[in-house]
Amino acid sequence: MICYDVKRVIYFFLDGQLGENKQKDFTSHLNLCGDCERRAAIQSRLRQFVKKRMHIDPAPEHLKRRLARAVRAFRAEWSASQ
Amino acid sequence: MKSAEVHEHEQGWDFEKAAMPYVDSLYNTAYRMTRNSEDAEDLVQETYLKAYKYYDKFEEGTNFKAWLFKIMKNTFINNYRKKKLSPHKIDFSEIEESYERVIQKNAPDLIKDPESEIFQDMMDEDVKRSLDSLPHDYKMVVLLADIEGFSYKEIAEILDCPVGTVMSRLYRGRKMLERTLLEYAKKYGYIRSGEPVKMRSRKDEVKPKKRAPGEGDAAEVHEPEDGDETVLFADDEEFEFELEEEREEEEFQIE
Repeated sequence: MICYDVKRVIYFFLDGQLGENKQKDFTSHLNLCGDCERRAAIQSRLRQFVKKRMHIDPAPEHLKRRLARAVRAFRAEWSASQ
Repeated sequence: MKSAEVHEHEQGWDFEKAAMPYVDSLYNTAYRMTRNSEDAEDLVQETYLKAYKYYDKFEEGTNFKAWLFKIMKNTFINNYRKKKLSPHKIDFSEIEESYERVIQKNAPDLIKDPESEIFQDMMDEDVKRSLDSLPHDYKMVVLLADIEGFSYKEIAEILDCPVGTVMSRLYRGRKMLERTLLEYAKKYGYIRSGEPVKMRSRKDEVKPKKRAPGEGDAAEVHEPEDGDETVLFADDEEFEFELEEEREEEEFQIE
């Protein structure tokens, strides 16, 4: 694997979706190439940053109650038809 | 039809217990899709009722969360996208690798210091707005992969498209997100040092200027122009990396 390939598949490597052999090739390249090692570190940090900032907020409580009511109503309707 | 009621009746299974843990994820994604809390709540409710009703379509042993997301995506397309479906025109030639360059130039110590972040002062809302600004298809893959943690295969299943398409959209979507984040950082001064420099792209060849008599070499400096959309943070080096604009969506393959 050369630097060009690393740039092209870096996202997929970080996602752990490259397949076993390519994942190994990628890691070997990183061990030899400081630039690509930094590159991977930068991208990995960015990923963590976005994930942290896009944290999942809890759904509103009234929505949870509304969903539970809707499912119960649906279930009751079914039971009545049996 | 064997819906969730039958399953509950026969097996003592509880739909609410099974589905409720995903309500936060579904609601957050619904909100990013509709950008409106009322529509997001309606979308989640419709998703839940459909999942309940069509539970027989769920294949045991597959990912229940992915199945719920798929129902939500289909419901969204049916209900909302028809109304205001405007095709996005994207000029992929504008997406260039600039993020790494900015980090290397402005924050070389970033890698050594795990606590520092180039965007650390950026508001959560700016990050959300950056993601919201992506065209729908690209926003969806980035959300599903980076926030919800689905695998490519699961995303392909949710969005009804080949894995290669997922990869290509992720590639471009993340590049667009990097660019948007940099633009926000520039706009609100989150980047602590470094001068904005015109970003070069292949389409953007420097045109020879007519030289006025007596004008020296200084005239060759290419100044960023107002309203130039490709002005970003970048140094003066050539971009080593370029997106192949002509690349077909399906081209990415694993192994």
